[in-house]
Amino acid sequence: MKQIVETRNLTKKYNGKSAVGNVSIDIGEGEIFGLLGPNGAGKSTMIRMLVTLTRPTSGSVLVAGYDVVKEARMVREIIGYSQQEAGVGEDSTGRTYLTLFGHFYGLDGQTIRRRVDEMLALLELTDAADRLTGTYSGGMRKRLEIAAALINKPKLLVLDEPTLGLDIQTRARLWDHIRALNSDGMSILLTTHYLEEADKLCNRVAIIDYGRIVAMGTPNALKGEIHGDVVSLTLPPEELDQREKTFEKVKQLLSDQPLVRDVQPTNDGLNVYVDQRGAAVPLILHVVEDAGVIIEDLNLSRASLDDVFIKYTGRTMREERGQALGAKKMMMSGG
Amino acid sequence: MTGLLRSTWYSLGRLVRAFVRTPFWILIYSIQPLIWLLLFTQIFQSITVLPGFSTSSYVQFFAPGLIVTLAVFNSNFSGMQIIQDINFGVFEKMLVTPVDRYGLILGSLLYVAVIGIAQIVIVLGVSFVMGAHVATGVGGVLLTFVIVSLLTIGIAGLITALALRVKRAEPLIFVTNLITLPLIFLSGALIPASLTPSWVQTAMKFNPVNYAVLAVRPLFLTGYDWTASAQALIVCGALAFVAIVIATLAARRFGD
Repeated sequence: MKQIVETRNLTKKYNGKSAVGNVSIDIGEGEIFGLLGPNGAGKSTMIRMLVTLTRPTSGSVLVAGYDVVKEARMVREIIGYSQQEAGVGEDSTGRTYLTLFGHFYGLDGQTIRRRVDEMLALLELTDAADRLTGTYSGGMRKRLEIAAALINKPKLLVLDEPTLGLDIQTRARLWDHIRALNSDGMSILLTTHYLEEADKLCNRVAIIDYGRIVAMGTPNALKGEIHGDVVSLTLPPEELDQREKTFEKVKQLLSDQPLVRDVQPTNDGLNVYVDQRGAAVPLILHVVEDAGVIIEDLNLSRASLDDVFIKYTGRTMREERGQALGAKKMMMSGG
Repeated sequence: MTGLLRSTWYSLGRLVRAFVRTPFWILIYSIQPLIWLLLFTQIFQSITVLPGFSTSSYVQFFAPGLIVTLAVFNSNFSGMQIIQDINFGVFEKMLVTPVDRYGLILGSLLYVAVIGIAQIVIVLGVSFVMGAHVATGVGGVLLTFVIVSLLTIGIAGLITALALRVKRAEPLIFVTNLITLPLIFLSGALIPASLTPSWVQTAMKFNPVNYAVLAVRPLFLTGYDWTASAQALIVCGALAFVAIVIATLAARRFGD
């Protein structure tokens, strides 16, 4: 398979601190490849180097064989990039906006008119085409921004958090659009911190944490590393203070049990990975009770990519995300 | 080259279209020079009896100075346009396309110059009504457009470069507030240089704004002063060139 993206020891440092460290990945033509990780993991920095916005500190990125630093112009010709914060102003119509990008790609007037109409139709914006973008909803802006990223028929479409902040229905529609583009042969690279998105949409996923790839493979293969089912135990707040002690104690006891494959700490308790959950749950409860540990809540689930994340980082992604979003909101209201 | 021209044209067109679409801005930009013209000429009416004034009408004296002053204010405001593009994410969105970087910057600077020329036209129209005239006629007005545009592109270019570095409105406003009045007062825009202390006259020699004033005023009051015009074209032209290069460099380094 030909590679659409090849990174080798890709590194970006800000003030000596690595935002992305020694990342080497290959993305094949025609793939939907997902970078999964919490906010601040380095996903956006990676993407920005890939789309020629930020220069790597060291290492290299080739897009369709072109170097993003030395052949930046060629790279720009063949990629489309949709950024995290919608890159749409308020003072043009959707049609004018798309037409402008057509011109920036050097397309001729006739081609631009045709492509603009096609993209408006594809992303269901035809009715709103001649309205000012200031009147658009968040989802419409996002779609318009993606339409602009598609105006040059890119070989590689790069989407940074494409469904961030969109409601569930809009997100599902966007997934359909992304799948449709992909089935027409377009390679797609996206970042997400929605596990479901990575799971359902991507052929392959790289889990990224603190600027490093901690795991890579198909969602199923990654989940296959986590055996069977997950029993999530939530500890009451008072127990959380001595979580480590409790964790060690319970882990010791549970690890000796035949059905238990692994125990991992989470932000609010423990995850126990088991083979036969029907038999395992009473067993776990029994062991925990004997150890004198009080449980606030118990959840049963199939292994998800979050469990893969926990396995490699010892943290859940959900908590990380909640905190990061909170911080972001504060930043936005403050600035 | 065609890439440069194309990019410049569409970058300029984008901003002009957005401006024309916002009647509020048209109103503000039209009223501002009129208020200045009326206030200054009324308040400083009697100043022309001072010996340094070559004309007895402050309108006649001030109209060219006002034109240059407006150019300085306009240029300083250009940074806000860039900040808005940065905040909306439009700037990065454009940087990811193969658009020519020089064209992108040049287009946004020409936009400031075009707005400036529109304001000059308003000032001239009202000044004529108030009794001013241009000694050199249409030729002088066109030369004024060129000199003022070069000055505008020069200052706006440096402000743009700064905006692309700091990426936020607050430090930008601080810097522009800091430099605007000194740039104007250390030129002969409001008062003839001969009436100022010698250190001010020395400082004026290093101020491109002053060269523009020295070139434009005779075009209005007496006739072509080719030495002053040539000096202004060279100084403002060099400033514009350097500013375009620096601003484009800042655009290229924007994401690092």
